[in-house]
Amino acid sequence: MEIKKRNESGYSIISLVGEVDLHFSPKAREEILKALKNNENVLVELSEVSYIDSSGIASLVEGYQMSKKSGQTFGLLSVSNAAMQVLKLARLDSVFPIYDNVEDVKD
Amino acid sequence: MTGKDTFTVKPADLPAPPQAALKILRACSRKDINNSELAELATHDPVLSTELLRIVNSAFFSMPSDIKSVTRAVNLLGQRALRNLVLCISVRDSVRQNALPDFDISSFWEDTLRHAVAARLLAEHSDLDDDECFTAGLLQDFGLLVMCFLQPSKASVWHDLRKLDPDQRYEREQQVFGITHDNLLQILGRSWSLPDELCAILGTHHDCKASSLSDADNRMCKILYLSDWMTAIFNVQQTGDCLRQYQSLANELLGLTLEQADTCLAAMPAMVESSAVALGLHIQQQPDFEDILSQANERLAEENMSYQELTWKLENALAEQDRLAAALDRELQVAREIQTGLLPSRRDSRFPVIGYNHSALELSGDFFDFFELPDGRIYFNLGDVSGKGVTAALLMAKTCSLFRCLGKREHDPARLLSTVNDELAETMIRGMFVTLTCGLYDPATDQVQLVNAGHPPALLISKEGEITELSASGPPLGIMAGSQYTIEKTSLSGGCLYLFSDGLIECEYAPDRVLGVSGLAKLLHKLHDREPDELIKLLFSQFIAQAETLKDDITLVMVEKRTPHA
Repeated sequence: MEIKKRNESGYSIISLVGEVDLHFSPKAREEILKALKNNENVLVELSEVSYIDSSGIASLVEGYQMSKKSGQTFGLLSVSNAAMQVLKLARLDSVFPIYDNVEDVKD
Repeated sequence: MTGKDTFTVKPADLPAPPQAALKILRACSRKDINNSELAELATHDPVLSTELLRIVNSAFFSMPSDIKSVTRAVNLLGQRALRNLVLCISVRDSVRQNALPDFDISSFWEDTLRHAVAARLLAEHSDLDDDECFTAGLLQDFGLLVMCFLQPSKASVWHDLRKLDPDQRYEREQQVFGITHDNLLQILGRSWSLPDELCAILGTHHDCKASSLSDADNRMCKILYLSDWMTAIFNVQQTGDCLRQYQSLANELLGLTLEQADTCLAAMPAMVESSAVALGLHIQQQPDFEDILSQANERLAEENMSYQELTWKLENALAEQDRLAAALDRELQVAREIQTGLLPSRRDSRFPVIGYNHSALELSGDFFDFFELPDGRIYFNLGDVSGKGVTAALLMAKTCSLFRCLGKREHDPARLLSTVNDELAETMIRGMFVTLTCGLYDPATDQVQLVNAGHPPALLISKEGEITELSASGPPLGIMAGSQYTIEKTSLSGGCLYLFSDGLIECEYAPDRVLGVSGLAKLLHKLHDREPDELIKLLFSQFIAQAETLKDDITLVMVEKRTPHA
């Protein structure tokens, strides 16, 4: 598990790598909220997520709810199959804006 | 050692023995000298010869009768003893009493005598002449006195030096004076015409383990080094440490047993006092060795005491931790009871809804509920709160209550979930949410209206064994106000509807092997014709048997038209 962060086209891209579980989620949450509090437009990249549980989803939900209130951009970027399965099963694909790449976000 | 640290000694600056003494010392190194010649040299200095006779007749030498002439003294004691006596007197008189105002000369003589006496006592255990050892011991620290004599501004350091153990003191001497007492002794020995082998012994006693001297000289080296440790025992703060180091060195260097080492130490104080009298030196009354020992033991006891205190504090802290853990445990137990009280109790065997919950932790994030409406239809649900522990349990209680309270008025399950969702979304914190499947079952028509909010699919297994997955139509509750849900209508027709939490499909029934929805469907299909209680028992025996490794709660609800068994 690892968190990488980079800037691309004016977005802060927070990349989660590995299993986003009860152990890893607090770190992911902290990173996401820190960026949002810092007025950044946040995309959480899930291309290298092999597993995500409800605590990981909760971190994303919290980021999403916070961005709604402040009017910032928040979305998920290149979601891995494992993560997409979980999102679809819970119909969360209807909640989060999900993009394949950063260019799509502008559209 | 850098050049800056080195101190250069000019022989002219060194204290010199009296002329007569120097003549005797030089004569002693000649092979052809006879006793009467030596005696005559001594007699030339009336002060020296009087002092010689006084010492020889003191209790220290225990001579059988009064010795009135130096010639007789030399005849009785031998030339070497005379040389030693002359050396002792010369050392004693080398530094005038008030030459060093910052130097506590009486404590220096005290330690010098301790060295001499210790060396003499150890001589008995190493086949060496006790007199030779005594003199060497008397000389071994003489270098320090001379160092202070040459650098009087640093003389007050002596007070601190003597409280260090020999090895520490040796290092400190080098730092302070730029030279050590043994190095200085080698230089001094030459100007005092001391025999070469004695110079070599005195000059290397701190390096006795690596010495290249003859066997006997090396043994004397070791004796001198040990006498350093014996003397330190009387001065250092860490008496116990020093004592143990001496005991271990005495065994290593001279093969002394613990008893022999202690006997030598115990004999020191009395002998130091008598030799002080003999040499006319004024020292304090010597502490009893027993006092020194008990001092060492007291320190040890103090150390043990603080260790005991530490243990006691640790025990108390652990007890307090246990007490708090027990209190928390009781609170959690009560919370668990309240939570369990929120779950509906089992109805009679005709009732079509049966639920089961097993919590991985004290408090569960899973829940299920069912209740009848006045028209006979039955509302049922199964939910899973994100997260664990107390926060999850509180949210579970809230969701449960909302569902039950609103459900009694709202008989459209999709609208009911929308309302519950809006209510939860309004106050939700930390991204928490609830996945939930609920339904309304009409026993009269065998029809089910099912709504799934972000929960794993429900499984419908028909009478013929056909499996249908009923997936979520909207997101979990509490995430987004205004979420819409749709009803899935189905008929049981002799089949059974199963709702379950993800704990069941994600549970590892073997290392790295989880059941999954399809695996669970197959398992349920296999057990389909069993009585509900037996089915639950068989199903859970697969998982609860591994309850120790259970990471998530496991909850199951089954809905089935039931007929009473005869």
